[in-house]
Amino acid sequence: MKLREIVEEENQQKDEKIFSVSDYIKIVNQGLKDFRARIIGEVSEVSFGPTGHVYFSLKDEKDKSIINCIIWKSRYDIYGIELKEGLKIIAAGYPEVYPFSGRMSFISEVIEHAGEGTLKKEYEKLKEKLTREGLFEEVRKRAIPKYPQKVGIITSKQGAVLADFLNNLGRFGFKIKMIDSRVEGQAAIADLLLSIKTLKKENIEVLVIMRGGGSLESMLAFNNELLVREITGFPVPVIAAIGHHKDVPLTALAADRSVSTPSIAATVLSESWEQAASLLKEYERSVVDSYENILENANSLINQSVDTIRGIKDLIFDKYKEIETALKISFQAFKNALQNSKSNLKNSWRKSIFGFSSLLSIIKQQLEHSEEIVYLRNPETQLKLGYSIARCEGRLIRSVRDTKIGEDVDIRVADGTIISKVKNIHPVK
Amino acid sequence: MPKEKPDVKNLSDNLKKLSEITEWFENQEEVDIEEGLKKVKEAAGLIKASKERLKAVENEFEEIKKEADIEEDNGAKEESKGEEEETPDRAAL
Repeated sequence: MKLREIVEEENQQKDEKIFSVSDYIKIVNQGLKDFRARIIGEVSEVSFGPTGHVYFSLKDEKDKSIINCIIWKSRYDIYGIELKEGLKIIAAGYPEVYPFSGRMSFISEVIEHAGEGTLKKEYEKLKEKLTREGLFEEVRKRAIPKYPQKVGIITSKQGAVLADFLNNLGRFGFKIKMIDSRVEGQAAIADLLLSIKTLKKENIEVLVIMRGGGSLESMLAFNNELLVREITGFPVPVIAAIGHHKDVPLTALAADRSVSTPSIAATVLSESWEQAASLLKEYERSVVDSYENILENANSLINQSVDTIRGIKDLIFDKYKEIETALKISFQAFKNALQNSKSNLKNSWRKSIFGFSSLLSIIKQQLEHSEEIVYLRNPETQLKLGYSIARCEGRLIRSVRDTKIGEDVDIRVADGTIISKVKNIHPVK
Repeated sequence: MPKEKPDVKNLSDNLKKLSEITEWFENQEEVDIEEGLKKVKEAAGLIKASKERLKAVENEFEEIKKEADIEEDNGAKEESKGEEEETPDRAAL
């Protein structure tokens, strides 16, 4: 509730409440926050407290009016501005009464150099310093991972940057962790640093920092030393899509990849996927072609095999027929040989039989012949027929000359011998 | 000393002896009736023995022939049987 409202409320209640100093200062300080402003002035009376907070005065250039200012150490360290006598700055903050001294001070949340010339000078100075350190060298830059999915984004939701980025990102299943951050002026530094700190803990593969174009002054945050160091030390590659006219923001120089527009940043993330899609199509074509070739080859091979098998089958059948014929011939030859042998045997047998029969017959004839001869020549047979054998003095009488009248003649007949004497001899005429 | 009995069982020897006897008769110009009678007796014995032996040989031969004919017949039957059995093999082929 604002002070005025409180007072009015109090008045309405017609209950004039008495505040303690402390409570009153609290109410006042609450009200003073409504007087947030940016003040330009020249720095004087700079002193550093033991805790690192910086106490200084800002002096009006014209009438030398002075306002006491404080910048807490945490803030002072962010902006990289060394406060010293005579430095012209712009301090953004609000007034506050310090309860223990009753003194009012301007709590400077943001301080920045005032004047384009100074900004440029400071920019060049810091650029030179960081260049010397090698923070912008190409060798330090990391490649943007191929086929990224988990993407961290730091940008402002306001403006066309985010829409421009998302419209060009393509549908490749990106998982985006987006942090809405102020990106304008020096005041954005704290936001940006906090965003980076948050995303450091997240599981992302690439970080994209974006903002639209602007003057050197509006780009102040992106020329912040702390931010530059955070970028170079960020665990995953960083893409900076920070629009600018002339002076490249130091953050962009420090980033692993710097592009001029959010749409290009989106393209950088998508390009490997696009290529992959294209490659996939090529692979698909290649696979299909290869497979078709394989099928064709297999078909051809099968046909060849079928032909070969047919050939082999014919060969086998021919061979089989040959063997069968040869076997039949062999069997027939064997059968014939057997038959011949049998026939020969039979013939031999028959010949033997015939021969032996003949032999027997011959023997028989011989026997008969012998029998006949023996029978015919048997002297007894002759004698039985009436023939006789006459002998004279033991000599066979074949002629009348073989004996003489008066000689004894022995006549052998079948059943004995007749002893006779020759009486007369009559030769046959 | 006992008279040596001729081995009348050997047909060939018998025939040979008979042949000699017949030859003797054929060549005999002067008949020696006693010797002739002896030869006749020997020839008669040889003829008888030879006839018997010849008959035995003929019988034996007939037996052998008969057996051989049976074996031959069996062989012919086996052969024709074999030819019959060959038919299903051919069909199987």
